[in-house]
Parts: sequence; C-alpha cells; structure tokens
Amino acid sequence: MADGDKIIDVEDVSQRLGENQILKGVTFAVRDRVRPGTVTGQIVGLLGPSGVGKTRLLRIIAGLDAPDTGKVTGPSGKPTFAGEVGVVFQNYPLLKHRTVLGNLLIAGAANGLAADAAKKKANDLLSRFGLDARASYYPAQLSGGQRQRVAIAQQLVRQKTILLMDEPFSGLDPESLGNVMSLLVDVANMDELNTIIVVTHDIRAAMTVSDTLFMLGRDDPKAKPPAGAKIQKAYDLVAEGLAYRSDLEQDPKFLALEQEIRAAFQKL
Amino acid sequence: MSLANALLPNRAVDRGMLVAVAGFWAALALVIWAVSPFQSLPGPLEVYRALGTLWWEHGMGPELLTTLKLIVHALGFTVALSMLLSYLTVIAAFRPVVAAVSKLRFLGLTGLVVPFTMMTGGGYSLKVVLLTFGMTTFFVTAMAQVVVEIPREQFDHMRVLGASEGRILWEVVVLGTLDKAMDILRQNLAIGWAMITMVEGISRAEGGIGALILNQNKHFHLAEVYAILFVILFLGLVLDYAMGVVTRVLCPHSVLERMKR
Ligand SMILES: Nc1ncnc2c1ncn2[C@@H]1O[C@H](COP(=O)(O)OP(=O)(O)O)[C@@H](O)[C@H]1O
Ligand SMILES: [Mg+2]
Repeated sequence: MADGDKIIDVEDVSQRLGENQILKGVTFAVRDRVRPGTVTGQIVGLLGPSGVGKTRLLRIIAGLDAPDTGKVTGPSGKPTFAGEVGVVFQNYPLLKHRTVLGNLLIAGAANGLAADAAKKKANDLLSRFGLDARASYYPAQLSGGQRQRVAIAQQLVRQKTILLMDEPFSGLDPESLGNVMSLLVDVANMDELNTIIVVTHDIRAAMTVSDTLFMLGRDDPKAKPPAGAKIQKAYDLVAEGLAYRSDLEQDPKFLALEQEIRAAFQKL
Repeated sequence: MSLANALLPNRAVDRGMLVAVAGFWAALALVIWAVSPFQSLPGPLEVYRALGTLWWEHGMGPELLTTLKLIVHALGFTVALSMLLSYLTVIAAFRPVVAAVSKLRFLGLTGLVVPFTMMTGGGYSLKVVLLTFGMTTFFVTAMAQVVVEIPREQFDHMRVLGASEGRILWEVVVLGTLDKAMDILRQNLAIGWAMITMVEGISRAEGGIGALILNQNKHFHLAEVYAILFVILFLGLVLDYAMGVVTRVLCPHSVLERMKR
C-alpha cells in the first residue's frame, strides 16, 4: 500500500429503521497515511450529535448489519464481514463468567489462534495495558477504565487492521481520558495499516487523536420527517498541520478549528 | 452503633449482628409457640419427643433416604429436559414447543395421576414422572425467559471476535446463563420438595417421608406430624444451602455481581 490508498471505502450507505430514515447516502473513505521513516497508522474521528446514527453506521461498517443501499469495502477489496473488523462497543461487553485473562483467551480461540500463541499475546497485552495484576479478576471486579482497557485488549488479541470504537471517551475523568487517547495512538501506530475509527460526540478529544475528521449529520435536523444523516464535512488535520503533535491544545489554529467545528455541530 | 444499623433502613450489618437478629426472632417464635393459647396443638417438648419416637421406632432415617433418592432422580431428569428445551429456544422452530411445555404448569398434578399411572404402571416410576413433570414446567418457564433475555449485544460482541455460532451458543447461551440456571434449579428443588408429600402419598407402598406424614395424620398424631414437618423444612433448607455452595463453586462470578448491588 502507498500513501492515499483506500483502507476502508464507505459508499452511498443508507439505512431505514421502521419509519425513520437514519442514514442516507453516507460516503467516505479512509486512506493510508504514510510518513517516511515512521510506522503511522490512521485514526479517524467520526463526529456527530447524539442520536444521529453513529452507532448504526458503526454496526454497518463492522459487517453486523447490512445497509439498505450502498456498501462498505475493507482492505481486502471485499465487503467487510462480522469478525473481520474489531469493535469496542460503548458499554464494553465482556464475558462475565470468564476472568480478564479468560476473556482475552476466548478472543484468541474464537479467531482460531493456537492456544499457546493466544496465551503469549494475551499476557503481552495485559502488561502493556497495565492489567497484569487483574488477570484473574472477573469483569464485575473491574473499574470502568479497567473494563474499557480489557475490552480494547480483547479486540487486539488477533491483529486486525480496522478497529471501531463507539464513544470511547464518554464518562472518563481527565486523567483516564489522556491515557485512553495515548493508548489509541499507540495501538494505531503498531502497524502502518492499522486504522481506528473513533465514533464520538467529544469534539476536542476527537481532534486531539485523529488525523482525519468526518462529521455525520442531517441537512436539516428540524425537518419532519427527518432526512437521513450523511457526511456533512471532512477535515484533513494532517494537511492543516494539526496531527501527530502533543502540543496541539496551545495552538491557536487548533482552538480556532475547534470553535469552527463546534459551531458547525450546533447546526446538525 | 451496630444495633442502630440493624434497626434503620438501608444499612448493612456484620455477620455477628445478623446471627443475633436471627436468634432473637427464633427465640421469640419459640416463646410464642410455648405460650400459644391453642392448647390442642402440641408444644415444643412433645414434638421433640415425637421426633425421637419416629426416628427410633418408625424408621424415619430410611424413609428420608427413600425420599431423597426420589427427588434427586427426578431433579436429574428435570435438569436434562429443561436445559435442552430452554437452549432450543434459540432456534425459532422450537419456540412453540417450549412455550407449550411452559404453559402445562397450569394443569397441576392431580388430574395427571391417572394417565401417568397408565403410562408408567405406577409405583416408583410414576412418582419420578410426576415430580419431573411438575418441576420441568416451572424450570422451562424460568429458564427459557433467561435465554430470551440475553442482550443482543452479547451475541454481537462474540460475532465481532470472529466466534462461530456454535461457540457463541456455548459461551453466551450455556456458560453465560449457568449462574441463573443454578438459581432456578435451586427454586425448583424447593418446588419439588414442596410437592414431595403429595406425590409420595399417591402410592405409599414405597414409603418415604410423605407416606410417613400421611400415616401419622390419619391417626391424629399431631406431635409426630409436626416433627416430620420440621424435618422436611430442615432438610429443605440443607438442600437449598448445598445448592448455594455448588453455585458459588461453579460460578464464582455470580457472588461478585450480587455484592455490587
Ligand atoms: N433498533 C432501532 N429501531 C428503530 N430506531 C432505532 C433503533 N436503534 C436506533 N434507532 C434510532 O436511530 C437513531 C440513531 O441511533 P444511534 O446510531 O444509536 O445514534 P448515535 O449517533 O447516538 O450513536 C436514533 O434516533 C435512534 O432512536
Ligand atoms: Mg451511539
């Protein structure tokens, strides 16, 4: 792959649930970012107000639901299917009858990984995520932040190119938020093709971690019946010079763009 | 301080306090019984003596064993049948069958004695079938509900991990509900235990605690009847406690989830 090659291609995706047109003609592509001399994955922020259809779109990209029209093509050039794409759901479902380690091992087994390979990978992930001491805990014994990290680690047991995350920033204290953001950047940069799509309504957090932002919204939110949501706007933060930096929040340009996005958000 | 916790709403108490509170109520119950104005009912001492008579002269021990064997036998069939039926609800084609079995609980056992006697030839197998029928209808009702209520996200979660439908069935439907199944089993043991005297009364030749209590009843040996009732209650509680222990060993996570409440 080379700079600009498509990793995910979402074409004209629409979905209707009962009377409601949720999505209508959603089209966007995620492309490989190449920075010579580095391993640079992709982080894409999918922004949109609450209830606009972000989770529905995520399920379609994950291959869990079929769209009414359009298609989602993965890195293989074929439509994505359930199991191909990692998904960290919003409330971090885990198998409650298995320990933290057990949850990771199940992910290996489900993906057809050999038992000893899965065990090694699981233990690596636990130490990387600071969870070694929690390996034998049950999900009921974890804090919210620990649960989130286990859910992420579970998706990483078997290396997958694409990882979708639904609202990973919600309900976190500032310190945990920072930790999750750097965790995402680390995970993305583990492989050149790694691509994380972060679904969120948190504008600042999305701007901080992403190299590309897409805004999902309806043309006229007050219209009755509401029209389906589509991509209203895209921001290339690399082109803006607002990616791959840790000092973003002091940059006036960052703050100005944040204001701009916030204003646009109000109208969606 | 600790006593205040026991008397005010929404407070937790430690184990010692719990025992003290339980002891207080037990003692109160005993006092009320001893000074009870219903003079025709046997007092605590009479019941205690009757217990000795029953044990040493009427062979209560072996009768108990007979009853235990019956309930364990029926429980085994119930578990096998009910679990199979409940898991089958994941296949749409089987749902009407499971729903029908569940509805049969409204029939009650009395009217079924005759047809079941004709099918089984009566005796021990009739009792096993009656008990199994009684417990299965309740077990399936509760367990099928548990399976239906598994959140869809748990299936999606496993699908995203690349699990096959067979593995999803095993992890989410079977293992994921095991703690609830054990709880239901525990309730069903109580239901079965409550039915035991009635079922054993249908055919008394094989004996059992139910036959014993009916014989004492016939002769108005009230103290003996009370003694047997106490034994039935006590054994029921022991069985219930044992089931709790088994659940905790099989599903250690179930205890954790309860403590979080
Ligand atoms: N199963 C469903 N049936 C009908 N409508 C649904 C269903 N799930 C979600 N919706 C509706 O679709 C819209 C988008 O939902 P969702 O994708 O969850 O929003 P969000 O952008 O907050 O993730 C919401 O208005 C919601 O009411
Ligand atoms: Mg959502």
